[in-house]
Amino acid sequence: MTGSEHLHTLEIRNLTVRKGGVEILSGIDADIRCGEVTALVGPNGAGKTTLLLAILGQVPYTGTIRFCRAAEHGQGAPRIGYVPQRLPLDPDVPITVLDFFALSAQRRPVFLGASRRTREIALESLERAGVAHLLQRPLGRLSGGELQRVLFALALRDAPDILLLDEPVSGVDVEGEELFCDFLSEVHRDARFSLLLVSHDLSVVTRHAGQVICLNHRLVCSGATTEVLTPENLAAMYGTDAHLFRHSHADGHGHLHDDGKR
Amino acid sequence: MEPILSAVFALMDRLLPFAFAEPAFMKRALLALLLTAPAAAALGVPLVQHRMAFFSDAIGHSAFTGVALGVLLGVSPSWTMVAFGAIVAVAITLVKGRTELSSDTVIGVFFSTVVALGIAIISREKGLTRNLQAFLYGDPLAVTDAELLWMAALFLLVCAYLALLYNRILLLGIHEGFARTKGVRVPAVEISFALVVALVVTAAIHAVGILLVTALLVIPAAAARNVARGAASALWVSVGVAALSGFAGIVASWYLDTATGATVVLATAACFAVTALYRVTRPRE
Repeated sequence: MTGSEHLHTLEIRNLTVRKGGVEILSGIDADIRCGEVTALVGPNGAGKTTLLLAILGQVPYTGTIRFCRAAEHGQGAPRIGYVPQRLPLDPDVPITVLDFFALSAQRRPVFLGASRRTREIALESLERAGVAHLLQRPLGRLSGGELQRVLFALALRDAPDILLLDEPVSGVDVEGEELFCDFLSEVHRDARFSLLLVSHDLSVVTRHAGQVICLNHRLVCSGATTEVLTPENLAAMYGTDAHLFRHSHADGHGHLHDDGKR
Repeated sequence: MEPILSAVFALMDRLLPFAFAEPAFMKRALLALLLTAPAAAALGVPLVQHRMAFFSDAIGHSAFTGVALGVLLGVSPSWTMVAFGAIVAVAITLVKGRTELSSDTVIGVFFSTVVALGIAIISREKGLTRNLQAFLYGDPLAVTDAELLWMAALFLLVCAYLALLYNRILLLGIHEGFARTKGVRVPAVEISFALVVALVVTAAIHAVGILLVTALLVIPAAAARNVARGAASALWVSVGVAALSGFAGIVASWYLDTATGATVVLATAACFAVTALYRVTRPRE
């Protein structure tokens, strides 16, 4: 890690996104550092997903987003992996997990079958995510947790420089969430990419993210998780009714509770 | 081109030594259906995944106006129908990508405008109505040699197009943002797919007519969903259902003396019923 410790993978300067005359994001400055997990937090509609889309170049914006590729990752444009929140699929869509890999991994049209190489790639990636048994399962019938792991396996296949996760634990049961988070930190230990995760679950954030960017249309605050997630900042982000309090049953991780009164 | 067609007809005489296949118009009808129905069914699989059934219906109805324009301008309506359908398909796709409106709203606006334009033209031109009947209900028995050759060319175009872009079309249907990160150029894929669908829809109108053309895209794909689990079987079941019901429908219409296009669509619906029954009775995994 020496040398890349303070390297920013991503520099965001004065980023503004307007949609239909409304500023969804205004004047955002933020850095995402190489080899770290950065969490993007904020209330619903704060522009978290919009920021991800701006990084992916899928919404028009003003300001700059600069990618700084770590030398150890070699030359060329940075690879961005993206794990969407969910897939808008019908449960009976005739696409298996293997087909899903084939769609991006091979030139041969999927109706002529998955190539042997695709099958190897898919099995290897799924095994890493602990879900090799899902290979032949229809994509629309996976549970939330299974789908997340498949998406994660697929995103990691290309060895991304930055991995963007949109609400990685929404729609996943508690056990699935634990497994997913364990897996995440494990992968992160050996792969050295940076990770930007959108989450409204502050227990996930405090447990896994070293850095936090707090958003509510503008930048509320950013910095090390332990320093930034203060009651004052949370109030500025979510309104004064929000409290971070600790559950007796939980292992000391905070959950954010919004008492309503919007 | 003539010798190719007569060679094909001679071959059909050998393969199908039955009374129904004897007349040349029946051979043409069979060829027309076996070229357009499977092509429509193959496109139907991604079309259903993209929830574009309404889109294909709108293109089908735009043909109505295309035909009216052709008669008005004194050009062959078969070709103005193709050109107009293609223009409407591209226009809908471009507008859809640049507005906040949902796609069915955008399609609804185009659909009504285009049909209204068609009716306005027809109401001015007396004696046009008879001309339109063939297009409304479809008449594969009246397909010309030129139209047959166009259908054959289109069949090859669809094969080549799907071989090149099928993976990207399906990936786009799964999640647009995700597809982009995998290098799918979304506007190019969307516009080309809309265009190919428009070409096939306007060709298939000769077989089953404006009112029923969406059935050729949607029903085989829906039947395939009942039995297929994977992407490969979905496409082949859909194409198989289309070819089988195209053939069965035309034969049945000969013996039952019913409208060919409608009989073909009923045969396709029967295939759907069989697959639905299979799905219901199959033990759940």
